Amino acid sequence: MTGTAAHPARGPGDRLTGLFWRRPKLLTALLIAPPLLWLGVVYVGSLVALLIQSFYSIDRFSGIVVKEFTLRTYAELLIPSNFDVIVRTVTMAAAVTLASVVVAFPVAFFAARHAKGRWKAVFYLGIMLPLWSSYLVKVYAWKLILAKEGIVTWAAEGIGAGNLLNAVLALPVIGGNSLSTSYIGTFLVFLYVWLPYMILPMQASLERVPTSMLEASADLGAGGWRTFRSVILPLALPGVIAGSIFTFSLTLGDYIIPQIIGSSRFFIGQTVYSLQGTAGNIPLAAAFAVVPIAIMLVYLTVARKMGAFDAL
Amino acid sequence: MTPAVEFQSVSRHFGTVKAVDRVDLAIAEGAFFAMLGPSGSGKTTCLRLISGFEMPSAGTVRIFGEDMGAVPPNRRHVNTVFQDYALFPHMSVRDNVGYGLMVRGVDRRARRAKAEEMLALVKLDGFGDRKPAQLSGGQRQRVALARALVNEPRVLLLDEPLGALDLKLREAMQDELKSLQQRLGITFVFVTHDQGEALSMADRVAVFNEGRVAQVGTPAEIYERPATRFVADFVGSSNVLPPEITAAVGGPRAWASLRPEAIRIASEGRLRGIVTGARYLGAGTRIEVSAGALPRTPGYLPQDEGGIAVLVPAGRAVPAVGSEVALDWDEGALHLMEGA
Amino acid sequence: MPSDARPPLGLTLGAIAGLAFLHLPILIIFLYAFTTEERSYQFPPPGLTTEWFGVAWNRADIWPPLYLSLRVAAISSAMALVLGTLCAAAMARAKFFGRDTVSLLVVLPIALPGIITGMSLRSAFAIGEIPFSTFTIVLGHATFCIVIVYNNAVARFRRLGPSMLEASADLGANSFQTFRHVILPNLGSALLAGGMLAFALSFDEVIVTTFTAGQQSTLPIWMLNELVRPRQRPVTNVVAIVVFVATFLPILAAYYLTRGAEETAGGGK
Repeated sequence: MTGTAAHPARGPGDRLTGLFWRRPKLLTALLIAPPLLWLGVVYVGSLVALLIQSFYSIDRFSGIVVKEFTLRTYAELLIPSNFDVIVRTVTMAAAVTLASVVVAFPVAFFAARHAKGRWKAVFYLGIMLPLWSSYLVKVYAWKLILAKEGIVTWAAEGIGAGNLLNAVLALPVIGGNSLSTSYIGTFLVFLYVWLPYMILPMQASLERVPTSMLEASADLGAGGWRTFRSVILPLALPGVIAGSIFTFSLTLGDYIIPQIIGSSRFFIGQTVYSLQGTAGNIPLAAAFAVVPIAIMLVYLTVARKMGAFDAL
Repeated sequence: MTPAVEFQSVSRHFGTVKAVDRVDLAIAEGAFFAMLGPSGSGKTTCLRLISGFEMPSAGTVRIFGEDMGAVPPNRRHVNTVFQDYALFPHMSVRDNVGYGLMVRGVDRRARRAKAEEMLALVKLDGFGDRKPAQLSGGQRQRVALARALVNEPRVLLLDEPLGALDLKLREAMQDELKSLQQRLGITFVFVTHDQGEALSMADRVAVFNEGRVAQVGTPAEIYERPATRFVADFVGSSNVLPPEITAAVGGPRAWASLRPEAIRIASEGRLRGIVTGARYLGAGTRIEVSAGALPRTPGYLPQDEGGIAVLVPAGRAVPAVGSEVALDWDEGALHLMEGA
Repeated sequence: MPSDARPPLGLTLGAIAGLAFLHLPILIIFLYAFTTEERSYQFPPPGLTTEWFGVAWNRADIWPPLYLSLRVAAISSAMALVLGTLCAAAMARAKFFGRDTVSLLVVLPIALPGIITGMSLRSAFAIGEIPFSTFTIVLGHATFCIVIVYNNAVARFRRLGPSMLEASADLGANSFQTFRHVILPNLGSALLAGGMLAFALSFDEVIVTTFTAGQQSTLPIWMLNELVRPRQRPVTNVVAIVVFVATFLPILAAYYLTRGAEETAGGGK
């Protein structure tokens, strides 16, 4: 058999292939350039714009944005009425996160260690569908459920717990006229909407616990609770932290839920929205939006030290 | 005659790691050539330098005399059987085999005929409509072989071709590859870390160590006359004698190798020692003769070397562990090696 | 790996309760779309009717937001498909300087709360004096949809592995032939799934959109307005079902497209 050691290049496709082969970085650069430009210009550019805006201030009389560097807008965050908003939001985020850990655990544990075959698929879809289905529809469903004339009141009266419900609603601070206008309602909806974000990373980290480790613990005579506390919990912790990043951050930044279900008191998200809209105070809105970023940066730094990112 | 593949002082560095370091190599046309070495010795990188998936940091790779410096893999008249076979999962076996013809613009009918011919060559007639996932490991290997041969390459590269197969299949495949190579007359270059595989299949072997070629030769040369301590150690399981010991048993002061099967248990011998261990191997028993066997040399403690291995052929009496024996060998058995 | 031991009763009940908590509220929506009660959210509904579907169909103010939402979702997911695939391809090729930065940059728009992405874009529009338009909405949506496509594509590229692409080149294919005959067929279902998830995400998005839409109204914004100031509650119920189905179907399709692969779509919203 004879012939040359190399085939000739046929057409521009082959010639470009040769060029990419000699300069592999060229092709990588060509591929990465469009998405990088988009994210760099549109997204990072916008984040920078947000930061810039937060260092501007607003002229109190004319309502016009003064484009000069100042820390005055940030100082405004410390005014009691503004600071209350931040404290209220962070408290809610923490409460939602803790509750979602408790509710998510059995689902995640069952899905990770006991669901097999068809049930595995049922659990997968059962967690994934609520996660992906329409956010607004989910919130709306809760408006129907928690309404004064809604299903919860009906059910409570049906089982003779109407007085109990009224007693709960009569509680100071967290109570209210009805569930849909109380902090309890806001909390429930947050918990509902962000729960899958806690289940998934938790499940992922639980799936990585070797069965042998659980058996070893049982062999050593550890009871269910001991095994849970000293083996399962530490191993699930990275997943819990990863999940809490989502639940915490999403609660910090949401403004639809407290607007539709809750008391009239504002959360950070609502404040940002109303400041940039009707109030026209974009600098203060921007400064408020930086608050969740700052909180999350602190949170992420701590989480990274605890090794939470391995479970992402 | 122009060698099929030629390396002229070829180096490939990854950062500070010299994967291939100033390698000179010539592979004759029609050879069944093995690149043998432990993992990380540079043998796979050398194979990828031939196929074009690596570019030399320095030096020249030539195929049939032609400098490959500017020729990308898709234009080289060389094909590869990949270690994991790399069959296309979305294509039928027939389309996999015909792929090389399709991208060169061969029409459908000719492609089909040629693919069937190749499948027959590797004894997979009638498997054309299956998907790779429906095949066994050995069958996938054959598909990969057929797919690589369809373009009638001038050099066929095989990356650990038998690594993923079980022992029985591996032995059958060794014979088959060998006869296929003889029938087609194509130059085969294969990479392996298994010295038995290299010695039994190849007609020439290059032993790699730390990015360099330690020795090139026929299997017999490599086995019987290893050039360096590394080769002696890696190929088979020779006794390696340091210069002091070589001198003490009557040789010059140089490193030497002594094959276990070349040593006899005798009543009188060049060395005496205590049997410290025995391992039954089927075709014989490998015994370990230790410490006292070697005359003490100042500054050298032979105990640390673990003694000398002796292969007692099946049928001969195996001395008991703990007994004293004398060892003897023919004059030519002691093979001197260059350098360290 | 699941253990063979029978789960404790408490765990089973907890898991069932958790799943029920996730699903029952959505069923409520379907019930309410048929209620005869017009003014309140009374439970149980006093009667059932299908008339509201007809009423919603004839409401002129629903159609423009629906069209806008469909248009935005189509354009955004198309752009995200291109950008996300390119990014995944580059990441699959080789290690390069700044890899981690790129992967962080891709995830950031969805990892940070929507209000930050929204407010950032709003700030940029204010500084750049860019007027609100369909384009400003798409700008935001495409940005957070990239990661959805990217996640799907990058997992598939990983499974494809480098040796398959090398095998193609080895057999004589140039880069374009390899893309067409090897990469695209293997990537196809992952891209389709990613595109559909991106569509669902964009169609439903409301937080970022409120900052980038100005006076325009997408279907979720229309619904939000109805929630804050209800006009005709049963019509809102019907629209809620439409929105739910429009996001639910692509998700289900995406699941079936990538089922069996080790990476199933939607793992990282």
